[in-house]
Amino acid sequence: MVLVNNRDRVDWQPGMTVQDLLDKMGYSYVLITVTVDDALVAKEDYASFPVPDGAAVTVFHLAHGG
Amino acid sequence: MATADKKITITIDGKTATVVRDSYLLQAAQGLGIDIPTLCHHRDLTPTGNCRLCLCEVEVRGKKRLVTACNYPVREEIRVETRSPRVLQHRKILSEMYLGRWPNVPVIKEVAAKCGVTSSRFASELTDPNPKACILCGHCVRACAEFVQEEVLDFAGRGIKRHLTMPYGRVDKRCIGCTSCAYVCPTGAIEVVDGLNGPVDAKLIRDYGMRINAEMATLDKFQCAMRDVGTANIVQVMQAYDLLPTHNHKFGAHPDEIHIDTSQIKKRVTQGMPDGCWKGCSMACAKVVDNFVLKTGPYQGQHVAVDGPEYETTACAANMGCFDLEFVFEFNFYCDTYGIDTISAGTCISFVMEAFENGVIDKSHTGGKELRFGAKREVLELLHEMARGEGFGVDVGQGIRWLKEKWVREYGADPAFLNDIGMEVKGLEFSEYVCKESLAQQVGYSMAVKGPQHDEAWLIFMDMVNNQIPSFEDKANALYYFPLWRTWFGLMGLCKLPWNDVVPADNKKYPPPVAAKVPGHVEDFFKFFEGMTGIPLDEEKMLQQSARVHNLQRLMCYLLGGGTRQDDMPPYRAVGPVTAEEYESRVERYDKQLRESVGVDPAGKSTEQKVAILRKYRLDQYNKAVDAAYDRRGWDRNGVPTAERLKELGIDLPQVMALLRSRQ
Ligand code: SF4
Ligand code: SF4
Ligand code: FES
Repeated sequence: MVLVNNRDRVDWQPGMTVQDLLDKMGYSYVLITVTVDDALVAKEDYASFPVPDGAAVTVFHLAHGG
Repeated sequence: MATADKKITITIDGKTATVVRDSYLLQAAQGLGIDIPTLCHHRDLTPTGNCRLCLCEVEVRGKKRLVTACNYPVREEIRVETRSPRVLQHRKILSEMYLGRWPNVPVIKEVAAKCGVTSSRFASELTDPNPKACILCGHCVRACAEFVQEEVLDFAGRGIKRHLTMPYGRVDKRCIGCTSCAYVCPTGAIEVVDGLNGPVDAKLIRDYGMRINAEMATLDKFQCAMRDVGTANIVQVMQAYDLLPTHNHKFGAHPDEIHIDTSQIKKRVTQGMPDGCWKGCSMACAKVVDNFVLKTGPYQGQHVAVDGPEYETTACAANMGCFDLEFVFEFNFYCDTYGIDTISAGTCISFVMEAFENGVIDKSHTGGKELRFGAKREVLELLHEMARGEGFGVDVGQGIRWLKEKWVREYGADPAFLNDIGMEVKGLEFSEYVCKESLAQQVGYSMAVKGPQHDEAWLIFMDMVNNQIPSFEDKANALYYFPLWRTWFGLMGLCKLPWNDVVPADNKKYPPPVAAKVPGHVEDFFKFFEGMTGIPLDEEKMLQQSARVHNLQRLMCYLLGGGTRQDDMPPYRAVGPVTAEEYESRVERYDKQLRESVGVDPAGKSTEQKVAILRKYRLDQYNKAVDAAYDRRGWDRNGVPTAERLKELGIDLPQVMALLRSRQ
């Protein structure tokens, strides 16, 4: 189980990367900042950065538009 | 070794670096603390590789060659030497040549010294003793094209005749005097003559304004693509996050969105033009669709240029169920031509459509028009009627609030249903965001002084997606800061888009509550104020400036008979699902909320029962959030600024206080 934004629970899968998690959440926004257990993940690492089981992930969307 | 194919590991002077594919060799070297001399390179401009001082020796698959580091993209494993004898020899000769031509220009002397050269054998009739001579680096040419997209400057002549010029060697009228060229010039060859508008400190404004210009040139294409497609970049975002209003704000997404999607709009708009909204703006988000042939109305058959479309206008089409770009352009053109606001018209007609589909009105009221969702031809007919002041158009032109009253009074319509689905507050139609899942946005919309326009508050992502402001107190704090910050732009006559439609690359370093404010850009705007007026500004002073005006505005509403709690009540459609159809469309989400937040088991309950339970819960939450926001703003529970708050803000003028008392 992975906890996203201190609210949403997502099933964990072996080998899960940040990109897998974003896809699962439908998070396609461009201005996002991702942390996995408080570690900041660079955009170019989304496809390789592993999300461990039980991780607390934040996906911060910075508002634009509006 | 290639890691996850986005990164490549390379060796520079024996040191190892892992770099992002396609990044330039110069950055990789700088990242390792290796200093390579440069002359024509500029951090914020596209590298051109014309001075050749940054030469390095690169070995690819056993073959060595010289490349210019500033514009050499790393795409495979390489070994690099930045100081091989061959490299040093080339740099030495080059810098000697530069020094021979421009012996007194400080940047030339500096770079030559770095290459071990302090005198030159190449003095000639070309030698220019001017310490501020133009060294043909091209920074200005690129800044003109990339910072402000004007392309007024370029080089002419070849070889030794090469020189900087505007077209035909004359001062070009298209030069907007933005000073970007002078700002990036390393020698001072372009001088700025200040004086326009009499700022106290023009340099301060320029120093901070150029930061935004540079971000637009380098980051926009990876962020919001404002230059490419303008505010319509968020059509696809809103659809993806279930926030794009469709069918009178019933739903937040629709399968037909694909026809009006950002990518479709992008294909149709004229690209890369300097802005038509405010000449000189480096964001340049205003777009034009050229050569559009009108199909209806007084200009039928004519080829016209259509402004936009902006996000809101496009989303209006979704709200009316008209998923067709041709329709969007025609609707946009005629709204603009007639002087009709696309948002008010779009939201109002969406309401008319839902009323029509529910039998509140029929063809006998609409002048024979079958005004169902998706009725594109009928919408345009209605728009022409509104402009001509004829038929049903006269009624629709009065807006939702007026229509509700007339239909209840004259057609015996159910006021409860109309109040639930009529998307207006304070008589103004909602703009185009579905706010059902964001309590903070519901309150922000409804408490906005002029009505539900998102320019006071746009908190959907902070609240609904990021879960960043979970408590009522957090929401109230956001509903305090952001409306005042956004009001401040209005007070200054400044556009808000450069604040958060491009974001500094280092914004990620801040924790979310701070990052949301985009501190780098807040600083830029404070410096603009200081540069113009000479008065330093900080957050506290900014909030004070805004709060004085914001509270006076609220007070004026109050004195005009509005501005109280009942005027801050939204239609229930903005808060939750009005109909069984809406509930069932997102049944998983709503059932989950019943179970987890309300503490009610949805099993065995009819949809109508579930709608009613959820409604009670959500309205209760809404009222609690309003209480918290009023408290934070220093307003009483009826939404009226308190005497203490007015005093604190220094706007407790005797006339104001007397008027306040007269309504109490
Ligand atoms: S002032 Fe601006 S528009 Fe004019 S030449 Fe310089 S960069 Fe171009
Ligand atoms: S005017 Fe300045 S910026 Fe432009 S080419 Fe000459 S030296 Fe470079
Ligand atoms: S700095 Fe690379 S070629 Fe000029």
